[in-house]
Amino acid sequence: MKKLIFALILTPLAAFAEGETVAINPPVSATTEEGLAAWGRIYEVASHPRCSNCHVGADGYPMWSGPSYGKTRRHGMNINAGESRVGAETVPCATCHYARFEGANDAPHMAPQVAMDWMLPPAEAEWFGKSSVEICNQLRDPERNGGRDFRALASHLDHDLILHWAWTPGGGREPAPYSLQEHVNDVLVWGVSGYPCEGDTQ
Amino acid sequence: MGRLKTLTRRAFLIGSVAVTGGVAFGAYIVGRDPENPLLAGLGDGEAAITPFVKITSEGVTLITPHADVGQGVYHAQALLIAEEMDLDLGQFEVSPGEPSAAYWNTAMAEEAVPFKSTDESFAAETMRSVMGGVFKVFGVQGTGGSSSMPDSFVKLREAGAVARETLKAAAAARTGVPVGDLTTASGEVRLPDASTIAYTDLATDAAGIEPVRSVTLRDPSEWRLVGKPTQRLDIVGKSTGTTPYGIDLQIPGMVHATVKMNPRRGPMNGYDASAAEGMRGVEKIIPVRNGVAVVASNTWYAIQAANAIEFDWGASPYPPEQDQHWAEVDASFTEERLNMEWRHDGDVDAALNGAEVISAEYRAPYVAHQPLEPLNAIVRVDENGAEVWANHQLPGFLKMQVAGVAGIEADQVTFHNQYGGGSFGHRLEFENITLATEIAMQMPGVPVKLTFSREEDFCQDFGRQIGAARAKGVVKDGKVEAFDLQIATTSAVASQGGRMGLPVGGPDTQISAGAWNNPYDIPNQRHRAYLVPELAPVSSWRSVGASGAGFFNEGPLDEMILAAGGDPLEERIRMCTHDDARKVLEAVREMSGWGSDLGPNRGRGVAFVNSFGVPTAEVIEVTMTDWGIKIDKVFVALDVGTIIDPDNFENHVQGGVVFGLGHAINSELTYSDGIAEQTNYHAAEGMRLYQTPEIHVRGLENAEKIRGVGEPPIPPAAPALANAIFAATGQRLREMPFNKFIDFV
Amino acid sequence: MKLTINGTEREVDVDPEMPLLWVLRDELGMTGTKYGCGIAQCGACTVHLDGLAVRSCQVPVAEAAASNITTIEGLGTPDAMHAVQAAWVEHQVAQCGYCQSGQIMQAASLLEVNPDPTDEDIDNAMSGNLCRCGTYVRIRAAVKTAAKTLQEA
Repeated sequence: MKKLIFALILTPLAAFAEGETVAINPPVSATTEEGLAAWGRIYEVASHPRCSNCHVGADGYPMWSGPSYGKTRRHGMNINAGESRVGAETVPCATCHYARFEGANDAPHMAPQVAMDWMLPPAEAEWFGKSSVEICNQLRDPERNGGRDFRALASHLDHDLILHWAWTPGGGREPAPYSLQEHVNDVLVWGVSGYPCEGDTQ
Repeated sequence: MGRLKTLTRRAFLIGSVAVTGGVAFGAYIVGRDPENPLLAGLGDGEAAITPFVKITSEGVTLITPHADVGQGVYHAQALLIAEEMDLDLGQFEVSPGEPSAAYWNTAMAEEAVPFKSTDESFAAETMRSVMGGVFKVFGVQGTGGSSSMPDSFVKLREAGAVARETLKAAAAARTGVPVGDLTTASGEVRLPDASTIAYTDLATDAAGIEPVRSVTLRDPSEWRLVGKPTQRLDIVGKSTGTTPYGIDLQIPGMVHATVKMNPRRGPMNGYDASAAEGMRGVEKIIPVRNGVAVVASNTWYAIQAANAIEFDWGASPYPPEQDQHWAEVDASFTEERLNMEWRHDGDVDAALNGAEVISAEYRAPYVAHQPLEPLNAIVRVDENGAEVWANHQLPGFLKMQVAGVAGIEADQVTFHNQYGGGSFGHRLEFENITLATEIAMQMPGVPVKLTFSREEDFCQDFGRQIGAARAKGVVKDGKVEAFDLQIATTSAVASQGGRMGLPVGGPDTQISAGAWNNPYDIPNQRHRAYLVPELAPVSSWRSVGASGAGFFNEGPLDEMILAAGGDPLEERIRMCTHDDARKVLEAVREMSGWGSDLGPNRGRGVAFVNSFGVPTAEVIEVTMTDWGIKIDKVFVALDVGTIIDPDNFENHVQGGVVFGLGHAINSELTYSDGIAEQTNYHAAEGMRLYQTPEIHVRGLENAEKIRGVGEPPIPPAAPALANAIFAATGQRLREMPFNKFIDFV
Repeated sequence: MKLTINGTEREVDVDPEMPLLWVLRDELGMTGTKYGCGIAQCGACTVHLDGLAVRSCQVPVAEAAASNITTIEGLGTPDAMHAVQAAWVEHQVAQCGYCQSGQIMQAASLLEVNPDPTDEDIDNAMSGNLCRCGTYVRIRAAVKTAAKTLQEA
């Protein structure tokens, strides 16, 4: 039955085509300084609660942090995404965060819904409470970022609709800074400039 | 007798009218029994024996008038009747019956009198009987105050016995066999020749004779049903989604409605429903008092449309900001606001004078009720009167409220009481009832089902009273030498009574309930209650005054005992003057293994409160983990005199502990701009399954009088937890909710 | 729009955004599924879509049209109870009972996925279902009993 749950949850990925599309136009070149500046903005996004609350480690507890919540704490109701990262072992994220096309997220405090089943990213993409350098090193490491280069990262941001939610979260939640397109542009600049991280020795 | 005179002189209105022998009710009137409501509408071949038993050729119906809000009273009331009547489970239907003076609550009056439940003095008993007389004359039918079992215990068994003896008399008349030779079992009368006549076969005969009134109740040792584990009659329905609650009823021709009222409880200055008018499914938009109702073909359409209305809400009648509420509470420990000095043993002022005084301030906030079934009611008004379907705990008052709104007589109101999805005091108020009536009047002949959205229910909740306490004490020679407790709260009694149009006089019996009546012999002890003028409107929240007062007594007392170097449980036992109370304390000592070493970062706390006449002790065991406090175990011992349904008793006590702990941990209502800030369960969730400890329950039966158990488990929960947290961490919690100061896992 | 509920096709004509919960309750009179909060905080509205437990207050009816919907009425009846329901009766879990349809649906779904849940699994799976009457002690026991019954079957 677990396999069935996985199948049910992952299939809609292909089925839903709605969502903001982005232009993926990498610059011809970019300097290290431009790259680091772009990284600074990428980090602002990645460390924002709309992203970092789900970018948690192997313990699988999504976080509730940011202005909507007052005190930072684990997701209520003892929710844990488990090894499957979708709660398949106990209660799937989709039980409450059921996928839907549009019109959702108006009501404050309602479980956010996007046009694909809710899930956590892999544990390798742990960002919550991590420093800029730590996240930078993870995001540029193909062993830890799903084997992606900057183009694939941009494409990931385009296709995975759950990520779009960060900028249009609804329900009175504070959106991630900048915009989806600006974030993609920053990823492209950072990539073209050679994925610089602070503390790199040239 | 002096105390009685003092109290009645203070315009304890209802009681004093009877005491001074006002013409309205002399002994004759009090002695007269109300009409049997089952007699009206009885067909041929149908018998109503007492107001509690109806027999037809089709079957037996037992009337169980106390409203079932989850506490299992339909089943428990039925057990009492069926026991004496020699019916087996499954041989009868139950019905709450029509509201009637015949179902007046003989036990609710107990809490309304300003005496300790353990006080059996002439003054106390007189006052109780007077209040009881008032309830009878006014035909006050109600469920609440943990009074259903005390009210029913003798009354319903008598009804069952009268029915049984009457059926035997009917059989005797028919067969010529002497009554003394007849027996009854499993719904049949048995003759000496082993032939039987089913009760249903005797309906016509029974209808034709006078009921046999002189009966003797069986000894508990003979009980088949009462006191034994039985399957609650509603368990299968509630496990299969087939038991309807008020919110589930489908009445032909019904429309759906919701309402939005001023969240500030002030007037509505204006509204603009233009966006709502054209919305799908909307049938009517109706202004009601303080707000607007939307009638639609589906509750969801109604809620969406209501959310699209723009409102101009007037100001709140109370201060708009929460800190102003606390300031008013803090300003109430004055002579002018002293409502009653409930107790003064020894000389507290002398004991405090010149001594090293330990003092502590405690707080208990507003909390919401929010049972899982939101407020709802179905009302139909037409030229004959009104018909109402809902769960409600005060059926007689409900009829009066509906009649008042509809401009008809209470007799013209028919009320069908339903199962309730929880209450905790919520279903003692009438907003859903009167608003549904207002809407129904705009659509004569059409049943209107009004459902509050959860958000509307939260913002219109009449929460628990807000309050604070100031404790002072002196310790000497390892003991508490003086204990002075001042409690100031708003009055749930006055707020609720005021909305019901009831005169409220005399001392507020709730402000210090559960504190002043503690069983401890402390050389100098004083309890004073201060009345905070009404702030946000409040109502009875499960265990009412004791829900705060228990915390206010048992927290500071714990601090004093520890300051004296004593053991919190041993000292409570040593100081305890009441036998039944001591036994429950001893029980939890034994159950919890009190005194054994739990190891590092772990601790136990104890608290005792007598509320609604039930001495209740709780010991709680906690662990301080890296992520916060884990509540491991709870041990509860309490004495209700006689346990009617032991399986439900255990569930109910466990549930009460969870209720008390959950709210103590994370729930409050706070006001900002006059509006409650908590709008749904994410903001005030109570306890969740993962936080639930083991809960071990022991019900003692030493007490002489039977009591109810709906509320007593709540008051000791919060202080026992705070005391346990102190033992485990050294951190003393004096304000609820506790999660403002410490995390819970 | 056509919906398949407990194996039967039903036809409704409502706003496609209407949550499945209200279609069940008000359009079809299937009131075993309850309204408690409307924002996925209480779980009283839990049904199964193709076997997956979901909060029907979060599912626009249009998006349920493609699925097999199972409600508490379809899980079992008083005469033919599901093992979870039988365990709920055996342990006399309910106080007011209003949350129990959702609790049972959630437990049934858990046991499909995880036939032998640990205490921790139960704590994780069931804590989204709120019980204001506090029957959690018995819910835990009933889930364990149901797990055993289903494994022995």
